[in-house]
Amino acid sequence: MHIAAIFGLGVVGSGCAPLKTPSQISLKDIYEFNAKGNFTLLHMCDIHAHIKPLYWREPSTLISAPNLVGTPGFLCGEAFAKHYGLEPSSLNAYFDTYMDFETLAKKFGKMGGIAHMKTYLDHVRAERGAENVLFLDSGDTWQGTGVALKTRGEAIVKAQNYLGVDVMVGHWEFTYGKERVLELIEMLDAKFISQNVIGNDPFKDEYEELIFEPYTIQEKGGAKIGIIGQSFPFTSTANPKEFTEGWSFGIRPESLQKYVDELRNEHKVDCVVVLSHDGFSVDQEVARMVHGIDFILSGHTHDPSPKPIIINGTVIVIAGSHGKYIGRLDIDAKDGKVNGYEYKLVPMASNMIPADPAGVKLVDELYAPFAEEFNEVLGKTKNTLYKRDTFFSTFDQLINDAIMDEMKCDISFTPGYRWGTTVLAGDDIIMDNVYEMCGITYPDVYTFELKGKRIATLLEDIADNVFNANPLYQQGGDMSRLGGVTYSIAVANKAGERISKLMIGGKPIDLDKTYIVSSWGGNLQNAGENLQKDKIRAVYDVTRDYIKRKKIVDVSNEGNVTLVDFDCGCPVKGSRSCE
Amino acid sequence: MQRREFFKKLGSAAAITAVIPMMSFAADAKKQAGPNEFSYEKALDVITGGKGAKASPKVSLKAPAIAENGAVVPITVEVESPMTESDYVKAIHIFATKNSNSRSASVHLTPANGKAIFAARIKLGSTQDVIALAEMSDGTFLTATQSVKVTIGGCG
Repeated sequence: MHIAAIFGLGVVGSGCAPLKTPSQISLKDIYEFNAKGNFTLLHMCDIHAHIKPLYWREPSTLISAPNLVGTPGFLCGEAFAKHYGLEPSSLNAYFDTYMDFETLAKKFGKMGGIAHMKTYLDHVRAERGAENVLFLDSGDTWQGTGVALKTRGEAIVKAQNYLGVDVMVGHWEFTYGKERVLELIEMLDAKFISQNVIGNDPFKDEYEELIFEPYTIQEKGGAKIGIIGQSFPFTSTANPKEFTEGWSFGIRPESLQKYVDELRNEHKVDCVVVLSHDGFSVDQEVARMVHGIDFILSGHTHDPSPKPIIINGTVIVIAGSHGKYIGRLDIDAKDGKVNGYEYKLVPMASNMIPADPAGVKLVDELYAPFAEEFNEVLGKTKNTLYKRDTFFSTFDQLINDAIMDEMKCDISFTPGYRWGTTVLAGDDIIMDNVYEMCGITYPDVYTFELKGKRIATLLEDIADNVFNANPLYQQGGDMSRLGGVTYSIAVANKAGERISKLMIGGKPIDLDKTYIVSSWGGNLQNAGENLQKDKIRAVYDVTRDYIKRKKIVDVSNEGNVTLVDFDCGCPVKGSRSCE
Repeated sequence: MQRREFFKKLGSAAAITAVIPMMSFAADAKKQAGPNEFSYEKALDVITGGKGAKASPKVSLKAPAIAENGAVVPITVEVESPMTESDYVKAIHIFATKNSNSRSASVHLTPANGKAIFAARIKLGSTQDVIALAEMSDGTFLTATQSVKVTIGGCG
């Protein structure tokens, strides 16, 4: 493929134009785009049901195996800014990194929100002609806020219909359960496609059959575009199996290759797109295994990537998370091949992109039934509460504190999801924020017993899911967050030998001792014994009550994990430090 | 529909053929040598008569990188062969290298099978390599290996 892209680094530093100070950035700079080709793909991923604007701080620690650190998918902070050439304190630096976050948050305001996204989408539709534009959604759309949870996904389907999503795939969508997923797809205007979800119950007619259409062919701007769906390959291990009983996931590169060939040879498409929830690093591996894909529109790992990456001629893009960005990809394709493209990751700066009144009205209507509960002020936070980072983040620590306080356990496990919210230092914490952090369909906190030896093995197992040198053996999340525990970790060590100096309640772990463990959002309770059934309670209720008791929460950003083999949270490529 | 019926039959045939080793996490703690203890190295030695085997692209082993459920891991083995009287695959053996009894299945074939393909679900006690060993009619042994991760589950 001939690559003729001028990468849209966005508003500043993109070449010949003189640098603009942040205050000079205008809507025109955000919209600016060197239009190209005969059609446009607009892309969003992992909005996690954030139909309202929010603050979202990117990670200050993003560690992986040494071969992956500092490569796209494992870049943060200073290393990210250096890799993509970001101007400090610019709008893009605010959207893409944690640096100077509190100050820039005051300057630039909240991010995302469907009313602002719609204005941008309509701008592109008007510029290109609506008949030449497709809007694709990489999934993790229906889950992540109170309004999504309370309406079992329906509020977000309405938001997607309003935005005009054309095609989607899924992951957290499946945590509403198979039947509900199929109901919501009925309400959805978009097509839901997946080549990698297959029936695996031998007693059902759908055994070894596709559950969804594997691909769709769309004609835009005179081109035939084949779009293949790839839902999250590890849904049944990352989330409870009962939601998808009888459905099997997996990457399935063999069948993906088959569909690519089918689209090219039988349907004679001009462009092959994979709409994916594999994760940015797994999709780089997919591009190595499967030939003939022009574009992968990735999701799952929440990376904002201002530039595409190109592997074996396949161009891979990913558009961050939480509705912070829309990716705009203009493509020139005809006669069965792509001749060029242009890409820009467009920040949805809610202070600059005007809200579409219809979107504001829709959001108000969707929230109205729950306004009283969601807007209750539970307390204030002294320091910024955020989610993300490889080992520790303040909002997770607050949840662990709440669980330990109520459950009187030795250890608390909070999952290393990458979705959530950010509450700025000094701000009120409202109930909506608590749902943004832990609004899931399996919210129960379980309290049970685990032997020291088992805890140590489990931690190593979890660490290997995060730090395996081969992205195909990772699951794309961060390390589970532990309350009551400190440890050291050597990420580069081999599986089973990464963790040392494991301390519980300030004392070295006793491998033969039985500890009381609380956990939520995972499968850990299945490994435990003597489940304390009378203590089971939803994590959002536990967290709400704790914040109300405390009134002012003061969680420091100290962290409980010592990283042995890296000097900083955002190392650069080939290095153990930020230098 | 035909394909579906074929897979259903294949599935039930596999359930009968597969020798499923008994192993659980609990067995780890009180692990002791029993009558079913059988290492991969020892099995390979017995099956090949000490000749050993070599990795070959002719053997394709399809198994998930991460098992959705360690108790039933779907695997498919296909061996490239004309399946004629003079050149065919005599047997396909499946091994789970870290299970106590590492042999999961042995399937014996004749040229009448037409194609050397076999699918089954095997039980894996922990993260380990799965090996497919093909016994060829010329007396050589070919393998393919795939590492399969068995985990309690990761993050979202």
